[in-house]
Amino acid sequence: MAEALLQAIISGLAVGGAYALVALGFSITFTTTKTLNFSHGEFVSAGAFIGMSALFLVLGLPVSSTTFGDALPGAGAQLLALVAAMGIMGLLGWALYVVGVRPFAGRPGMAWVMSTLGFGVILQSVGLAIWGPKPVVVPGPVGDSVIRVLGVGVRPQELLTLAVTVVIMIGFDRVMNRTMVGKAMRAVAANGNVASLMGINTNAIMIGAFVVSSALAGLSGFLLAPIAQASLFMGLTVGLKGFSGAMIGGLNNPRGCVIGGFVLGVFESLVNLWQAQWREVAVFALVILVLAFRPTGLFGRTMVEKV
Amino acid sequence: MSRALHPIGVLVAAAALIGATSLLGNDYYLRIVFMMCVYYLCAAGMNVLVGYAGQKSLGQAGLFAAGAYAVALLTTQTEMNPWLALIAAAVISGVCGVLIALPSLRVKGPYLAMVTLAFGIVVEKLVGEWTEVFGGAQGIYGIKPLTWSGQPLSSEQWVWFGIALCALTHLLLRNLLQGRFGRALLSLQADEIASSSVGVRVYRAKVIAFVVAAVTCGIAGALVAQQNQYINSDFITFNLSIFILLLVLFGGAGSQYGPLVGTVILTIIDAALARWPSAQHFLYGFMLLFALYVMPGGVVGLFAKWFGRRSEAPAAARPTIAPMRMAPAGGGELLVVQGVTKTYGGVKPAQDVSFRLQRGHIHALIGPNGAGKSTMINMLTGVVQPSAGSIRFLDREIIGRPAHAICCLGMGRTFQNLRLFADLSVLDNVMLGRHSRMANGFFASLVALPGAQREEALTRARAMQLLDFVDLAHLAHQPAGSLPYGLQRRVELARALATDPQLLLLDEPAAGLNPQETAELGQLLVRIGKCGVSILMVEHHMDLVMSVSDHVIVLDYGIKIAEGRPAEVQCNPRVIEAYLGADEPEAVAA
Repeated sequence: MAEALLQAIISGLAVGGAYALVALGFSITFTTTKTLNFSHGEFVSAGAFIGMSALFLVLGLPVSSTTFGDALPGAGAQLLALVAAMGIMGLLGWALYVVGVRPFAGRPGMAWVMSTLGFGVILQSVGLAIWGPKPVVVPGPVGDSVIRVLGVGVRPQELLTLAVTVVIMIGFDRVMNRTMVGKAMRAVAANGNVASLMGINTNAIMIGAFVVSSALAGLSGFLLAPIAQASLFMGLTVGLKGFSGAMIGGLNNPRGCVIGGFVLGVFESLVNLWQAQWREVAVFALVILVLAFRPTGLFGRTMVEKV
Repeated sequence: MSRALHPIGVLVAAAALIGATSLLGNDYYLRIVFMMCVYYLCAAGMNVLVGYAGQKSLGQAGLFAAGAYAVALLTTQTEMNPWLALIAAAVISGVCGVLIALPSLRVKGPYLAMVTLAFGIVVEKLVGEWTEVFGGAQGIYGIKPLTWSGQPLSSEQWVWFGIALCALTHLLLRNLLQGRFGRALLSLQADEIASSSVGVRVYRAKVIAFVVAAVTCGIAGALVAQQNQYINSDFITFNLSIFILLLVLFGGAGSQYGPLVGTVILTIIDAALARWPSAQHFLYGFMLLFALYVMPGGVVGLFAKWFGRRSEAPAAARPTIAPMRMAPAGGGELLVVQGVTKTYGGVKPAQDVSFRLQRGHIHALIGPNGAGKSTMINMLTGVVQPSAGSIRFLDREIIGRPAHAICCLGMGRTFQNLRLFADLSVLDNVMLGRHSRMANGFFASLVALPGAQREEALTRARAMQLLDFVDLAHLAHQPAGSLPYGLQRRVELARALATDPQLLLLDEPAAGLNPQETAELGQLLVRIGKCGVSILMVEHHMDLVMSVSDHVIVLDYGIKIAEGRPAEVQCNPRVIEAYLGADEPEAVAA
């Protein structure tokens, strides 16, 4: 029993890491532009598939193939795939900002909800046209042999996900709080107009926010693909749970978002251990519960509207 | 008799459609028309939510499922009559609508959109994975169809029933949206704080909008399940939620015929592309991405631009109403503030402030910037909750009451930074002020009872009278946001007066006005005072304050430092010190 519990917690932490990356992505665009990418989940799927196609290309397989067969990509190929996934997703984030967000940001009516949603639908339908709806088994960069830690079997990909996430989080936190770029981002978040009067290029910062947020989504998809198979439909729930994690932690507090993502991952994993079909319901019930008591999340600042 | 013209037109159109479909005789076309009816039902309700209340719901598929599975389970597990099951399905999906609306109490905007999206996904997962109850991809067979004199409906009859239901839905929703409720929903879309300040129960209005959308969507789901006599989890997808939203946005959110136009066009496209699902999918994404950019008002908005704005009908003969006597005469204490304190961390915009307002007087609240004047107004009107103290209005404690309830008690207000409903006409803004004083409820408005229509006419007349009072009657049909700043201030004043206040709170009414306008405002305030309305105004224009007010209260850093007649306050040394600073030696002595 204790072993099963420990196992659930470790895999929960790994998936929670992916949620935390997504949650952080939501937080970055929300604090700088007051908008969210409603197709963030599709971006996660896209990241997985772009990483996968890079692996196919290196192995000399056609991009549109749907199985690796016996081919095992090496470490160099995996690294290249990671760079490709994050780079191309960053560019897509740029495109999304220019096409879908900038025309509507700051205007009433939240038209950007629709446009970002539409962008994701387009991405998904392009993916469906190339690969079809079937999930693809993707080999992990650290092998698939189960290693034993404290008497518990752990997949190395889970440990890798956890480690990468933690490194990224700490790095991001340092950049936000210790560097000029981080200060500029926080200034734009606090008040874009004043920031631009101080000579900060707010447009560039906002583009940067979407690029970073989308690259994180790509990373999350790339890390998840070997754990849960790459599927064009995997993103929707990952995106939603990432957002739920952000809501639990507080959308305007990046550290809170990360904690929220991990909490949600572990919680989901534990519920899964108990009753699998109630997993989604329990997760969203938890979100509603948190929002009922703290509408801005556990670590979020309350926003006061001046009257 | 123009009032009867529209329903007759709708009946004729529906009859013509029914006649035309009986000539079709092709099951494929009948099926398309039936799906148009189903989607129209979804879209019509969704328009109330998206177009009027301004709430984005991305989980309508969940409500569609609620209706569909309700009839499925009710007619297969019990021996319920199919008609009864249809009604039960509507009720059950309405309850689910309340369920999604609950989070809207706490969260807004993008958060709420995400919560509704999550609701849709949870339902999708539930019906797909909880196979013991919902049958998953296998689905539920043997759902009992609707019957007519013992026989199941034929394909034609299904279409006829669908058209009749759509016509009925259109008429009912039109009744609802053209009057009190439509205005209230539009106002909360524009500005929730202003909306509650005129007495609209914001949360309740939102729940109603969610329930209307849920009920129509649930009925649509039930119709599909009963017509197919089968439902499975493949019907309930995120794409359905997006499609329903797109019907409204593409046709034109917030317009009467938008959902109809959107439904007809998109259902035809949907049927034409049914063979290429990925093309279909791509097109929807493309539309979502660019439709709002190219045509923010949808297809209907595009055409409205070409034909120009429909001119407003001139006001018909006005019913006679009572002359302007706004509040009861007499004296006595209207409002008693005792020991009110407010702290934001270390900042204390109010420390143990006490004062009394007399009925029939014009009071002024003055003080340097940051003295806590606006915070005081916000505490009095229920927008901000004080940390301690007591506020008694008309001998009733009002701390802790919501803003709309305080408005109903008889306290009207204006805002420092204008909060008009900019897209609504001047007249609609003032009529919204009457919201809490109108007696027609939800169901009376829905079926347009004669009482509700009379109430609407009375309100319109009263609003016109108030606009006459502030000299804006000639601008009644302009959008409020298009007026010059000074006139917008007067509209806000008229809106506050429309709530029948006994006490009117004005937060810097002269801000941004030129000297001429300020003088006119002063005269207007005196006229309002003569109508029996007491006034408390926060103001920086000392000329205005000294010329019109009977009593002045001075705040500085959250502390009341003086009060009394204007002349007394003017020579009070503490007031002079607060405004101009003291000389060095005195400051040291103090």
